[in-house]
Amino acid sequence: MLEILPRNLNFDFVGKRYFFLGLSLVAVLATVVLLATKGLNYGIDFSGGAEVQIKLKNEVETSVLRGYLDKGGFENLVLQQLGDPAQREYLVKFKSENDSVIQAAGKKMESVLGAHFASGEFEVQRVDVVGPQAGKELRKSGFLSIFYTLVCILVYVVFRFDLRYGPGAIAALFHDAMITLGIFVLTQKEFSLQIVAAILTIIGYSNNDTIIVFDRVRETLRAHPGRSLEDNINRSINETLSRTILTSVCTLLVVVALMIFGGSVIHDFAFTMCVGILVGTYSSVFIASPTVIFLTHWQEGRRKNGSQQRV
Amino acid sequence: METTPTNRSGSGRHSPSRRGLKKSWWFKFLVTISITVLAALVVAPTALNIDIEKSWLPFKKKINLGLDLQGGVYLVMGADFNKVYSEVVKRTVDSLITGAAQKGVNCNLQDLVPGRDADDPAVLVECASDAARKQLYDILKSDYEILRIVQDNKLTYGLALTKAYRENVRERTISQSIEVVRNRIDEFGVSEPVISSRGTDRLSIELPGVKDVEHAKELIGRTAKLEFKIVDNESMSPDEVAALVSDIEAKNNVRYKEGEKFSEYAQRINELAKGKIPAGTEIAFQREDVRHNTQTGQAPGFGRVPYLLKARTEVTGDDLKDAFATMDPTDQRPIVSLSFNAKGTQNFDRVTGENLHKAMAIVLDGIVHMAPVIESRISNGQARITLGSYDNQAALREAQDIAIVLRAGALPAQLDFLEQRVVGPSLGLDSIEKGKLASMIGCLAVFVFMLLYYRGSGLVADVSLIINVLMMMAILVALDATLTLPGIAGIALTVGIAVDSNVVIYERIREELRAGKPIVLAVESGFDKAFRTILDANVTNALAALILFNFGSGSIKGFAVTLIVGIVTTLFSAVFFCRMVFDFYLEKCNPKRLSI
Repeated sequence: MLEILPRNLNFDFVGKRYFFLGLSLVAVLATVVLLATKGLNYGIDFSGGAEVQIKLKNEVETSVLRGYLDKGGFENLVLQQLGDPAQREYLVKFKSENDSVIQAAGKKMESVLGAHFASGEFEVQRVDVVGPQAGKELRKSGFLSIFYTLVCILVYVVFRFDLRYGPGAIAALFHDAMITLGIFVLTQKEFSLQIVAAILTIIGYSNNDTIIVFDRVRETLRAHPGRSLEDNINRSINETLSRTILTSVCTLLVVVALMIFGGSVIHDFAFTMCVGILVGTYSSVFIASPTVIFLTHWQEGRRKNGSQQRV
Repeated sequence: METTPTNRSGSGRHSPSRRGLKKSWWFKFLVTISITVLAALVVAPTALNIDIEKSWLPFKKKINLGLDLQGGVYLVMGADFNKVYSEVVKRTVDSLITGAAQKGVNCNLQDLVPGRDADDPAVLVECASDAARKQLYDILKSDYEILRIVQDNKLTYGLALTKAYRENVRERTISQSIEVVRNRIDEFGVSEPVISSRGTDRLSIELPGVKDVEHAKELIGRTAKLEFKIVDNESMSPDEVAALVSDIEAKNNVRYKEGEKFSEYAQRINELAKGKIPAGTEIAFQREDVRHNTQTGQAPGFGRVPYLLKARTEVTGDDLKDAFATMDPTDQRPIVSLSFNAKGTQNFDRVTGENLHKAMAIVLDGIVHMAPVIESRISNGQARITLGSYDNQAALREAQDIAIVLRAGALPAQLDFLEQRVVGPSLGLDSIEKGKLASMIGCLAVFVFMLLYYRGSGLVADVSLIINVLMMMAILVALDATLTLPGIAGIALTVGIAVDSNVVIYERIREELRAGKPIVLAVESGFDKAFRTILDANVTNALAALILFNFGSGSIKGFAVTLIVGIVTTLFSAVFFCRMVFDFYLEKCNPKRLSI
């Protein structure tokens, strides 16, 4: 049998829970600060604006191309080369307060390029235009859908397990979503509709690992009621660790392939999934179960206090 | 899904038995084989790119490619309802006051009430006397239940539309807009355009294969042109006109083809008909709805009933104030009620007087929608169209359709372009290639990994994954789902997620084996204990995917659909199929060691 972990592995995850919880707390707080100060680099889906992808037949210096576009009257444009330079694919992004300017982006690009290149030497491959109002609404519905997903999963986990497990699962998922957002603020990668889709998928997926651990915790608690909660949870985490890692590795294989070979359109999506899966694996080990421990102790504490008061 | 709880009943099976496989196993086997064959047949045209028209395959369907893969234009338009509401409330109150004035009640329409929410505007009405105010109140209560009083000061009322009516207006506006846009796009000649409402105040338009977004936007944004023209049946009978048109078509080899601009066809027919029809007349066509005609097998497009019309436009849409479907109070039959403005009233009076008992065609953007006969002279600017004598439901639907056509010219809501996404065909092809390649590499990596790590059992998992993908694709084809680039990624991702179920099961089996259980028991309890975990995990995946489906549009919806379908097929392939294979292996080979 090929195994990734030694048998009878017994790493003290639970004993180090304060360290890891603290680490994650700091990371989440840092994300909140980053979100408030630096902010996400919203793509046009959320900020409104236009994005035009073009492909040129012949080699042109990027600075020359930029010159053409600047003269063509594109305001505040961002020009970036996509993927393999030999493909000569460029993405031109620009934002404008004037809705009619961005709505005409595709036409304008045709005419600007048409002035410098013969027809057939350039191609407008893709035009995305989102009005500022639509952008605002998309942003709102995007974040709301993340929120709804968390609530739905909370309800489901509470229903399937019990009240102590739900918050643990949600803490882990919230953590995953936050860290992923944090990485987007840090890298200033563009935050688009696809990224929201990726985060929603991660929330659904990352919960799988947590459920594997929880299922085992419940089973172990039933089998060994005499042992302490910490001990039972630590054993459960260790016993399911190879599973947690293996499932993530399998999905990562696919996601990494998509990231490397999938082309520019799904690259960022796959990148987000990749980050999310890694963070999700970490959180199902280090965040979800420790939260269950805290909630159990807190519940017991309250019960004790309650009975003392009654006495 | 059969999940027998782990009990000792199965323990008899781990002694070498010669009684063979249970009946239920054969049933499972049959189910699996039929599902797989069925799925393969459904997927074959898509996967092997077979020409479905010529193939012998029983299922003649291919997967729809999303706009991001086949190229095309995606537009989202928003209607400015605040403006529509304020127009409607003004118009309604205006008609209330006009009606009241005829009864000698003297009230005046003032301006919009300031400081109200833009989506619930109100207008002020000032009455000459307290008596007038009371009378107005009575009329309001008896005839205008769509208005509500929001202000009441001495001689003035602030009147607004009820919420229900605003809702009604909104729905009407959207359906009317969709109708207008559809007419425009038919003119553009796009095959399979999709126009649908999105949310409460949006409509989305998908135009596969279209590249020139500016032209499309221009066409869509143009205001509809509604005209009323008199039908000329004196010069030529309808049969003669039809014969003339077929004659022209045959002699000049002019045919209307799908995707061609209908107006160009009509124009050519008219050019060729010159001299054969009286001066000052033209041929126009009524469009028959043959979009969904599956019985005759007629291709979707325009059915053509030609009319000879007097070229002169008698009344235009600008003169029409409103049109709506309603019930005739006397006999409870559906009618379309039209009201005209002052100029329209005058024109209509003259035209109906001059052309009594002739048909008057309602022409929208050059296409005849119906041609009711003028039965009496209409002088008050309030016309009604009674419909044919079929059942009330159908008549009411038709009345609503006609009202929409009529309003299309009369009540244009301001439509703004909110989003536009254009994908060129070459990028689409490129995306398919890259998406396919990346997915295949990803899946292959998973296959190899499973083989290396779990050996024989890994092979079973790999076969189950292939069946999984096959079923997924088949369901997507059967559901007429649209495959988008994120959707392709979704299929690959499903493989990555589906294999998790195998991992969970196999790790559990290994664990049971390590604990010293015999192989048969280990496998049994591995599957049984893992099932709950797998189910829970997939349900949460599905929850997230459902919300994503609801939130996303276009390509992201495609992704959500593949995820949801993938979750269902995963439960089948990872649990049902693998269990079946293991049962067979254990029963027939009775192995001493399990390759896991």
